[in-house]
Amino acid sequence: MNIVVAMKQIPDLQQIRIRNRKPVLDGVPSALGVIDKNALEAAVLLKEKQGGKVIVLSAGNEEVEETVKEALAAGADEAFLVLDDDLEGADGSTKAMVLAEAINKIEDVGLILFGEGSGDNYSGQVGSRVAELLGMPQAAYASSIEINDSSAVITRSLEDGDEILEVSLPVVVSVLGDINEPRIPSVTQILKAGRKPKEVLELEDLEINLTGLPEIMTVSNLAPETDRKQVKVASVEELLQALRTEGVI
Amino acid sequence: MNFNFTKEQSLLQAMARDFAEKRLEPIARQIDEENKIPDQIFAEMGELELFGIPIAEEYGGADGGYDGYVLVMEQIARVSGGVAMTLAAHTLGLGAIQKFGTEEQKQKYLPDACKGKTIASFAFTEPATGSDPKQLTSTAVKESDTYVLNGTKRFISNANQPGPCVVFARESESGEVTAFIVDKWCEGYSISEPWAKVGMKGGVLVDIYMENIKVPAENLLGKLGQGFPILLYGIALGKVGTATAALGGTLAALDEAVKYVKEKTHRGAPIAKFQAIQLKIADLKIKYETARWLCYRLGWLANDIKDPAAFAAEAALAKAFCGDNVVEAARIAMNAHGSYGLMKDYNIERILRDALIGPEIEGVADMQKMIVAGSVLKG
Repeated sequence: MNIVVAMKQIPDLQQIRIRNRKPVLDGVPSALGVIDKNALEAAVLLKEKQGGKVIVLSAGNEEVEETVKEALAAGADEAFLVLDDDLEGADGSTKAMVLAEAINKIEDVGLILFGEGSGDNYSGQVGSRVAELLGMPQAAYASSIEINDSSAVITRSLEDGDEILEVSLPVVVSVLGDINEPRIPSVTQILKAGRKPKEVLELEDLEINLTGLPEIMTVSNLAPETDRKQVKVASVEELLQALRTEGVI
Repeated sequence: MNFNFTKEQSLLQAMARDFAEKRLEPIARQIDEENKIPDQIFAEMGELELFGIPIAEEYGGADGGYDGYVLVMEQIARVSGGVAMTLAAHTLGLGAIQKFGTEEQKQKYLPDACKGKTIASFAFTEPATGSDPKQLTSTAVKESDTYVLNGTKRFISNANQPGPCVVFARESESGEVTAFIVDKWCEGYSISEPWAKVGMKGGVLVDIYMENIKVPAENLLGKLGQGFPILLYGIALGKVGTATAALGGTLAALDEAVKYVKEKTHRGAPIAKFQAIQLKIADLKIKYETARWLCYRLGWLANDIKDPAAFAAEAALAKAFCGDNVVEAARIAMNAHGSYGLMKDYNIERILRDALIGPEIEGVADMQKMIVAGSVLKG
């Protein structure tokens, strides 16, 4: 059984500067989504227990071919890439169609992992859309995954409790950022990442029609402005009292 | 001319920074105070293959070149001067064995050392040599198929750890300086207590006492009388590590100063708003960037040394500059901290002590300048 990990190329968040309330992306190198790396680590841990291959799946512009080396260094065995400049900035719906069609071309897929949300937009919808398109069950917000023969036991950490599900394979799972601590790759894992097998397709190689889809353009995506309360305290006692008043402690 | 990193180089740098921040930073002060690197850290560095970055894969190394080595060394030195010093001395020893060792010597010593199971040393300095190799007094007397070594070696890094030690001694028949690979902790090998040095603690310096150490003849490194070329080549390669360790200290000084001046307020505003502070930050950035490109270039040059004398001059230049540079940078950063910088509560106190090591080890700064001047004035 193979495990597919969908990973998104995003700008390296640590190198983005904000100017006029907008991110400046010029010259910012690309990286893979932070929680996507947790999904990859979960896949590698499962593979180490039960075998199979971990295949990293990514769709985007040509730069993805370089960016994906990060995943290959961190334990993925192969990469399956759909590269097309039209995919740069594509919305979740389009990306889901592309990923679902790509997954149809990969053999013996038992588990498809996503991060709970991408590192840039964090809409968290592509995993669900892919599950729908493939007609597969889906479990989101997973804090643990175990594989038993033909099913997966998944713990979902929800706001008011944990839910444990047993789901038949294949299944789409999105993982939480605290499911694990991604390992640090060794020097040779990094240096040999580029030599691992890669299958590269273009959009026209997939049997999907992206014309006529409704286009969604994000006009603005800002967090609401919040004012600090500017409470000044003169002593620890006053600080404690202020925190109590705010209901923090 | 392309100054961009490859993806692999970016990942290597990011990996080293990740390791340094997650694993070394939380214990950097402990390493400094105890003058000891925990065994667990050696094990983790071995797993990540940090002990054999420029060593060929066939000998257990990562084949990442000296350019890869400087990217890692910089990030480690940024967080712990002691770990950087240990790694630099180890890689120096391995570099000499890789270059001059026989196939048997390389197969015997390099694989375990690349895994961090053994830690290498390079022992030239003696109480009376200073930076003058001609004053070497340790002796090697041939007795059938062994050499018997006697003498004292001073300020030897990692000599407390088991592993190979490249030792220089005067072969008695020829009178020529010759290099040998000695297994540390063999019979006749003993060491002093660690020197209580000012900085880069955790990088342990001891004296080695050699009393009738019997070294098999097959452990002669290079050829009889080839000691000086091996010494010069090895020391030049070693300066890739020491220059870059100084670079990491310069980056640490810059980072600590930037962090402090953004946090520290005066009359309600961060002191970073003051021009006098901004000038210090600019000086630190200039010092970091100039040292950085010297070290990266030196790493690249070390990958393929065609003219050892020319490389030795390049290495001396980088080491002379980076050694003095890190001290100046750490002083500026401490100055930006004001009185707080003198306190152990702030990292800059340790960074300045670590920086002081830079100009003095592996040939003092003046010695490096003499090598540079010699290369400029020759002919």
